[in-house]
Amino acid sequence: MLLDFDRMGRPLRATLVGIATLTSLFLLAPIVFIVALSFGSSQWLIFPPPGWTLQWYRDLFADPGWLEATWASVRIGLLVMVLSVVLGFLTALALVRGSFPGRAALKALFLTPMVMPVVVLAVALYAMFLKLGLTGTLFGFVVGHLVIALPFSIITIGNALEGFDFSLEDAARICGASEWTVKWRVTLPSLRLGLGAAAVFSFLVSWDEVVVSIFMATPGVETLPVRIWAALRQDLSPVIAAASALLIGFTLLMMLLAAALKKRNR
Amino acid sequence: MTSASADPADAFLSLRGLRKTYGSAVAIDNVSLDIRRGEFMTFLGPSGSGKSSTLYVVAGFQDPTEGSVMLERRSLLGVAPNKRNIGMVFQRYTLFPHLSVADNIAFPLRVRKVPDATLRTKVAAMLKLVHLEGYGHRMPGELSGGQQQRVAIARALAYDPPLLLMDEPLSALDKKLRDELQSELRRIHQETGVTILYVTHDQEEALRLSDRIAVFNAGRIEQVGTGAELYERPATRFVAGFIGNSNFLPVHVAAVNGGVAELTLPNGQRLASSRLHCAARPGDDAALMVRPDRLRLDDPMQPGGDDNVGVDVQVRDLSYLGDSVQYAVSTPWQQELCVRQPLAHADAMRWRIGDHARLCWQPSRAQLYANA
Repeated sequence: MLLDFDRMGRPLRATLVGIATLTSLFLLAPIVFIVALSFGSSQWLIFPPPGWTLQWYRDLFADPGWLEATWASVRIGLLVMVLSVVLGFLTALALVRGSFPGRAALKALFLTPMVMPVVVLAVALYAMFLKLGLTGTLFGFVVGHLVIALPFSIITIGNALEGFDFSLEDAARICGASEWTVKWRVTLPSLRLGLGAAAVFSFLVSWDEVVVSIFMATPGVETLPVRIWAALRQDLSPVIAAASALLIGFTLLMMLLAAALKKRNR
Repeated sequence: MTSASADPADAFLSLRGLRKTYGSAVAIDNVSLDIRRGEFMTFLGPSGSGKSSTLYVVAGFQDPTEGSVMLERRSLLGVAPNKRNIGMVFQRYTLFPHLSVADNIAFPLRVRKVPDATLRTKVAAMLKLVHLEGYGHRMPGELSGGQQQRVAIARALAYDPPLLLMDEPLSALDKKLRDELQSELRRIHQETGVTILYVTHDQEEALRLSDRIAVFNAGRIEQVGTGAELYERPATRFVAGFIGNSNFLPVHVAAVNGGVAELTLPNGQRLASSRLHCAARPGDDAALMVRPDRLRLDDPMQPGGDDNVGVDVQVRDLSYLGDSVQYAVSTPWQQELCVRQPLAHADAMRWRIGDHARLCWQPSRAQLYANA
């Protein structure tokens, strides 16, 4: 290899390690910062915190608005996860295994939400859902997030399908398995890594989605990121830091779960 | 076509008039074959010759356009693959990657709702059969290619299917493992008595494993017979060229007399009393096939005699092969022929490059084929 870390010489190696450290710090600093603030005793978000307290978490859990927003985020996230994986699997199956006219065009179409500016998508969805009276409904949020999450599922599950040897299905059939048994006991378990990754991705896409959510939100129904954004505009309170820390913590938990699953399966 | 075809009455598996077309492309062209119970039958042929397609029709993954498939006098057509109770081993290992070796072998038994106790006994017996005792808890990814294919064989035999299909099961393995698994397969065949339908493009593998071989070419069966029959009496020029090495001399049929023909070589030399194996008329051009190990190099200008015909040749090249010496010799009409002299023969090493010699063979060992 041209760029071999072990052979590039001391000065170059030191520079590289330096850049990597700085980049990591730059990426991690806000997270450390916000988590530290959420436990800080200062009302005005002073850093470093003069003392430590759990006050803001108590406030957070005492406020039904925050709890409702969290619960809404969880429900929407789980619904998006399930729908995204099921639809993504069926779509990927058609795109990878099917042979029909317009397959390539269809594939491109399914992936457009990834390249389209989210604001444009949000405005379009808002205009349509306003007409249908779906803004501020769970359904509206789920559909909006699903549009963004689905391409991730299609790509991840599609890759898993590309690597799947379909003669395994023939082997299962000749062993006596019915079509359902083949899919349940052979195909889906073989794709479990791809399906798991798609599930985690989809949930996270929904979990920290802001743009579409802001358009969809009404005072009645809002998600955690929308609530943070709204609270930030009203008053700068350390409760926001606590909510953010919670958001980060849950995201981290999901990623650790995904990593653990991957490791166990290897 | 040959003396070795089974009597249809005691046929275990019977293929009749099988035909499979894709649009205008013909994959299987009128294949009929009877296979006896317990027989090791190999489909041998180049890729695209229809051997795998025929196997997939028997498995039920493809439906024939025409024809019938009868297993123990019951038609298999219209029966789904999972209802045929046939075992199959594929070219790739096709073990279920998320199941352990034992669970892979147990899969067909679980699907059949076999009770747990019976299942465990059977899995243990299968692991023993393929010499993988103690490997039950391993995952397929932890096994070598040869071991994975043994597990695939165990899985395919776990439910005691009357028929085992094998689609080039050893082609992904290296030479040494292939040899090893070939003898394993022979042993397993003898121990279980299962009827095996085996597909390969490797003639050596076919000769080593099979009771009988069906040679496929362009969707048809060219000949069915034991290895010896195919080698000694190939029915067609294709079979002669595909099984073993062969030399084809271009000849002209001068006269036909009963079962014996008089031939003319390109240099005008006459060959008397060559036995006919095909319909040839005087005036036809044909090809005379002689195996390299049926040819002999002798002193030039030796009188031929009735049981020996000969051509003057010059030695172009020689290679020492351990048990024999292979000579490349050129004929007066500049055709290069291959001669193999066993080292057990005293004169085997006698010839040098550039030497003139007489190439001799017994007419009964040569076969005449009409030009296609």
